[in-house]
Amino acid sequence: MKTIVQKVLGAVAVGSLLAVQVPASAADTASKKIALSNNFAGNSWRQAMLKSWEKVTKEAVAQKVVAQAPSFTTAENQATEQAAQIQNMILQGYDAIVVDAASPTALNGAIKKACDAGIVVVSFDGVVTEPCAYRIAVDFKQLGEMQIDYFASRGLKGNLLEVRGLAGVFVDDEIHQGIGDGVKKHPEYKIVGSVHGNWTQTVAQKEVAAILSTLPTVTAVATQGGDGYGVAQAFKAAGRPLPVIFLGNRHDELTWWKEQRDASKYETMSGSIAPGSSTFAFWVAQQILGGAKVPKDMKLPLTVVTQNTLDEALKNTEPGGVVNMEYSQKDVVDFLAKLK
Amino acid sequence: MKTHTVSHFAKWQRWRAGRPWLGSCLAAVLAWAATVFSGQGQGSGELLTVALTFSAFTVLVSLGQMLVISVGPGNADLSIPSSIALSGAVAMLVMDGSNAMIVPGILAAVLVGALVGVFNFSLIRVLSIPPIIATLAGSLIVMSVAIAIGRGLKIKPPPLFSDFMAMRLFGIPLLAVVVLAVSIAIALMLERTVLGRSIEAVGQNDRAAGLAGMRVELTRFWAYVICAALAGLAGALISGFSGGNSLDQGQEYILLTIAVVVIGGTVVSGGAPCVPGIWSAAMFMFLLVAMLNAAGAGPGLRMLLTGLIIIGVIVAASSPGKR
Repeated sequence: MKTIVQKVLGAVAVGSLLAVQVPASAADTASKKIALSNNFAGNSWRQAMLKSWEKVTKEAVAQKVVAQAPSFTTAENQATEQAAQIQNMILQGYDAIVVDAASPTALNGAIKKACDAGIVVVSFDGVVTEPCAYRIAVDFKQLGEMQIDYFASRGLKGNLLEVRGLAGVFVDDEIHQGIGDGVKKHPEYKIVGSVHGNWTQTVAQKEVAAILSTLPTVTAVATQGGDGYGVAQAFKAAGRPLPVIFLGNRHDELTWWKEQRDASKYETMSGSIAPGSSTFAFWVAQQILGGAKVPKDMKLPLTVVTQNTLDEALKNTEPGGVVNMEYSQKDVVDFLAKLK
Repeated sequence: MKTHTVSHFAKWQRWRAGRPWLGSCLAAVLAWAATVFSGQGQGSGELLTVALTFSAFTVLVSLGQMLVISVGPGNADLSIPSSIALSGAVAMLVMDGSNAMIVPGILAAVLVGALVGVFNFSLIRVLSIPPIIATLAGSLIVMSVAIAIGRGLKIKPPPLFSDFMAMRLFGIPLLAVVVLAVSIAIALMLERTVLGRSIEAVGQNDRAAGLAGMRVELTRFWAYVICAALAGLAGALISGFSGGNSLDQGQEYILLTIAVVVIGGTVVSGGAPCVPGIWSAAMFMFLLVAMLNAAGAGPGLRMLLTGLIIIGVIVAASSPGKR
């Protein structure tokens, strides 16, 4: 008799424990399907982003938080192709679509259709302007401005070289504006050259090598991340003194930084967005499906590596990867609670 | 008096017609001069050295594209970026940072490239898919293999290999010398061997070439294989030059190679390859970007000017009435 009571009590206790473990969003999302629509997978950042998505969602599916969370990547990095992909997702009946968009505007039609079909759309990194979608934007302007602030805090003076990303992409414009704002604030700097490295090391190396022979001494290089190593190779090949190159958290960049630091006390700073922002977007989508009230526009913090945190960051980053941070459901619940 | 001028003009026309590379060569010199001028005269020699280094990669890949384009209308290899990504990854994996493995690594990269060429051609021939679609579809498969092998991992080249890539002989990059040797070999192949003559004949009229007893499809097979093998070699060299392989290291070589082949005076409908033109056009394409960058042109203006200038050079380079 007593044992039965104990058993019942125990079961109740276990049940309530479970109830406690399922946080904030009361509604059950166990039957919900969330898809990731991704436009490009050809660089280390995107590879890490997809890996983080896979890791976190696999666990979420195993724990029955959601039913499914597959990721889809378009082959040609075309907005039209991604729009078609989103149309397919609507037909396949996903409850939420997390999207890293090829274009801020070109997908709006497809996204509006998804919203009309009652699908929650959360855009991150490459965000979309369609008002019905949620946006988890990165403060790219800040990423540009902080570079110049950092150079100023080092007391550097003189000529800057700017290595931009892919022309015509929102992110490139934002970081570029941030760098412009920074230079306005610190008139001791002059941008003597600007090239488009397309966020690709080999392209950055080529473009920098081409412009370098026409430039006076360069004190520092403002970049957009992912191409710092290529920039360094170009300076090395030209036999020029190494400027302070702002880096973008890639493993090859940090390895190179460590080598330079150990060899010649080279100092710089590195900042970017963690590819794990895909997992942040995933949990936001899950929370919305669970009934949480979420603002349409959110800003994701930047992940920064300094001279002091270099060794630790390098240790925790796998070769070929980017300094990463995967978000847990709790992180996102806390983040959303703070916004209220 | 009047007839005199006309005959001069006709002579000039004839002289120019035999040298389809002349336009791009002139354009390259002009672009170089303009860059040096807008950079206040600094680093004119340094700019040339840099241009030679980067053009060497472009030349290596474009020579292959030239052979493929020359085997007849509709032939083009659009899988070059994927071949470069895959072979770069394979080369770095085989070398694994050890100086002793440099030669095996390069050979492996060339072999992988050649296999991609065989794969491309079998798609075209066995499945009768048009070359542009076949190589584009093939490139997706090749890129997937590259992602699976490398998973975005950058492996550093052996130190000796990096040094070799950066080495200069009297100011001329060693790399450019190597690529020049490859170019001469290709030119000799085109002039002196059965395969080379067949490539031109097949490109001019495949039916006539077939009736004359040439093995049309075998000729095309070799064009695709040599093209992909050269892309494989370029993949290994680019990885050595850029301090490691990356998936996107070949990205730019798809349109660039076609532009270089066409600007260099190779007839785009096939049958008339032009090796010297590949060099002058590759130099021109690099110096054009350098010039526009040095002049501080914005990305929109730069794209517009690049397009206009390429059209201009092609029009100026092709002799009137003989296009």
